[in-house]
Amino acid sequence: MKAFIQGTGSISAQDSTVFPATIREYEGNRLPVADPDYKQWIDIRQIRRMGRVIKMGVGASHISLQDAGLTMPDAIITGTAYGCLADTGVFLNKLVTQQEDMLTPTAFIQSTHNTVAGQIALMLGCHGYNNTFVHGAFSLENALQDGLLLLQEDPARKVLAGALDEITEYSHTILSRFGLYKNAHTQQLLRSGTPGTMAGEGAAFFVLGAEKNARSKAELTGVEMIYRPASAEETAGHIAGFLQRHGLQPADIDLLLTGRNGDVRGDAYYDNIETTLFAGRPVAAFKHFCGEYPTAAAFGMWMAVQALHTGQVPAAAMFKGHAPATLKRVLIWNHQHATHHSLILLTAC
Amino acid sequence: MADLKVQIIQQLNLQEVKPEDIENDQPLFKEGLGLDSIDALELIVLLQQHHNVRIANPEDGPEIFYSVRTMAEYITAEKSKQG
Repeated sequence: MKAFIQGTGSISAQDSTVFPATIREYEGNRLPVADPDYKQWIDIRQIRRMGRVIKMGVGASHISLQDAGLTMPDAIITGTAYGCLADTGVFLNKLVTQQEDMLTPTAFIQSTHNTVAGQIALMLGCHGYNNTFVHGAFSLENALQDGLLLLQEDPARKVLAGALDEITEYSHTILSRFGLYKNAHTQQLLRSGTPGTMAGEGAAFFVLGAEKNARSKAELTGVEMIYRPASAEETAGHIAGFLQRHGLQPADIDLLLTGRNGDVRGDAYYDNIETTLFAGRPVAAFKHFCGEYPTAAAFGMWMAVQALHTGQVPAAAMFKGHAPATLKRVLIWNHQHATHHSLILLTAC
Repeated sequence: MADLKVQIIQQLNLQEVKPEDIENDQPLFKEGLGLDSIDALELIVLLQQHHNVRIANPEDGPEIFYSVRTMAEYITAEKSKQG
């Protein structure tokens, strides 16, 4: 099953209204979202209760619906690893400091993983299918697969699917203790050659439809996940098999877009397969634009869709080789901690 | 009442509302500030946290939370009972 991407929306560390002509550079160990004026999409009476990730998700979903010229989707599907982390922290903190007394409802009702999908539905008055996938670094991919299955059942549907995650002070402190992050500059991050990366956050949404229309920007040709492959060789076998199932060879991929994040421990996987399975193929990356987070592939997919739509790959995205003159197929291969590998195949339409 | 207005704005995160924007007798719910049932729960907690005042009978809520003035009068009355 495939789908046509008819609208996209992204809120990330980059200003999506000017990216990639203007790229924001960061120094430190995290890339915070460049918050737009959320009041352009959300009533001020509603916005006061929303945490950052809710605003990010609602904002990105609005942009994608506007881009698709759609006012009411038939289904809303989100993917998130951490959910509404900030509100969860607020609620749990009050639970402890106030000794389980005088707890207010706002933080609690805003703290569930499904809050964003629910909030989008409430604002749109959408009573259709509503689901949230919480599967760590596979959350986006499960949301996309669910969207494809819905379209297989009923090709007339329009599906709003996306993913989101936020950084909070608590989460960043805790994750930093695992040695995941390092201080770097985004321009040097990918070739830093040391352990650690830069944290990121963001939300990206896509309007999927079974039929190609005037607004279609790219085709979502396939999505697959690989959990805990034993080696780079096994991963390469999975990637080759995935391409074969779509009637393709590695040479048919015009651009390999990897989740390379500058952490030498995980990038070794990319180094291996870029020089074997995809030897000589152009390779690009996206995490020096958005940072590392479990649903970062959503930003990569947003960027790839723009590239396929315009036919141009941002020069700053290229990691190996030159941007292809013609762009027909992009394979996004992302992994987190070498345990969660995902493949998203996009085709120009 | 000025302090109470600041507390309401902070508790409910009323962005872009200043204390002077809230009139003493302006209805807080529906046509006034546009507060809703979740805000009512937040206001109950505000009374407990900031003024150590509890609402014994929930049915009195609409009357107590009608405006800033009615809230202030309720706080004053309850405080005087507490001595």
